[in-house]
Amino acid sequence: MMDGAGPEVLVEAILLVSERPVEEEVLLSSAGLDRDGLERALSRLLDKYDARSSGVVLRRVAGGWQLATNPRCAEAIERFRGEARPTPLSGAAYEVLSCVLYLGPMTRGAISAVRGVNSDAVVRNLIERNLLAEVGADEESPGAPALLDVTEDFLIAASAGSREDFPPLEELVSEEELARVRERLKDHASKEP
Amino acid sequence: MIRSRPLSDFHVEIEVYSGPYEWLLALILRHELEVFEVPLRELVDLYLRDRDEVGADTLERDTDFAGSATALVLLKSRSLFPAMEDPADGTEGEVSAEDLADRLSLYLKVRRGAEHLRGRFEEGAGYHPSGHALEPRKGRLRVDRRRLEMATRRMFSRLEEPSLAHIDRITLSLEELAAVIRGAIAGSGGRPLSYEELVRGMDRVGRALTFAAAVSLASEGEVRLLQEEPFGELRVMPA
Repeated sequence: MMDGAGPEVLVEAILLVSERPVEEEVLLSSAGLDRDGLERALSRLLDKYDARSSGVVLRRVAGGWQLATNPRCAEAIERFRGEARPTPLSGAAYEVLSCVLYLGPMTRGAISAVRGVNSDAVVRNLIERNLLAEVGADEESPGAPALLDVTEDFLIAASAGSREDFPPLEELVSEEELARVRERLKDHASKEP
Repeated sequence: MIRSRPLSDFHVEIEVYSGPYEWLLALILRHELEVFEVPLRELVDLYLRDRDEVGADTLERDTDFAGSATALVLLKSRSLFPAMEDPADGTEGEVSAEDLADRLSLYLKVRRGAEHLRGRFEEGAGYHPSGHALEPRKGRLRVDRRRLEMATRRMFSRLEEPSLAHIDRITLSLEELAAVIRGAIAGSGGRPLSYEELVRGMDRVGRALTFAAAVSLASEGEVRLLQEEPFGELRVMPA
């Protein structure tokens, strides 16, 4: 342990000055703690920053830990800072994010193919908001189009620790519902001249 | 007769956009806003609420709005159709019912994923991080007595001559180089000479001295130095 302060005090201080989530490895080295010490410190801090009684909460997001204000205080914070919340995303934007989260990294063309409509403008907007980023290129496709993936800011905005925090794609729609879709399509096809 | 407000005064407040209606049209035409994200019915309702009942040119304003709104409907309907692709160019042709079902199933899942994400984003919107990234703090001045003494001694002692051992002995004079430049210009028949040509084969000191000689000749009005852009080619020509 460093600086004569308790483990949770050190971890708390480091988290306070960091705007981004701090990875456990960084906490270990910065606070000079071992794994057990860090876990105890985080456990105590989770108790201390209980959302029911504290204006500050400890979140596990984007592969790290972050101190943030309690959402119940959001309106007061926004009045204090004199800023409005960013415009909510459109339905199309959530669809693009869902595509990339579950099927990505993928190209703009692949996103448009899944959605059935050109999605370039939506993708551009999401890149500007730092929710999507180009992470490489699809070398096997002509022109090697850029591959897009979700970002750390996306995980923070979705309050997710990692991709694994989202329900699997296969569980999002029940088999019965899918069977009904197929049935309806079959009916429709049989009625076509 | 009272004139109604022009269409340019019509302001729109919808989920994806807030501002003048005409700018909304411009954003859509420039593909900076997807037309299928714009709720057209809401747009028409907004216009009807904003509309002046009496006015000399209300009909003209209505006609303008109807014209642009119709174009939006057309654009939106086109954007909602799947892109038509030519089977002859190697892309897919007619889609089988099975393929279509697979695609729809995938889209349905993605759509559900989107709904799930919307919920998570709405829940997460109220969190504000603990603080902004801090600027690195400037180091505090720590006065080391020993280093202070050394600095003081250096300040009040005579400066030692710096060693010039690493610099080659200069064997050319500016006059000689000026003569070289004059000779080169005379031989060029009035054509501008590249500085690179002048100094070809010279070492760094020679190049620097040639430059100084050229500047000296230019200041005396004997030659002109031309450089069309910063760091561009330098040329020397008779004045």
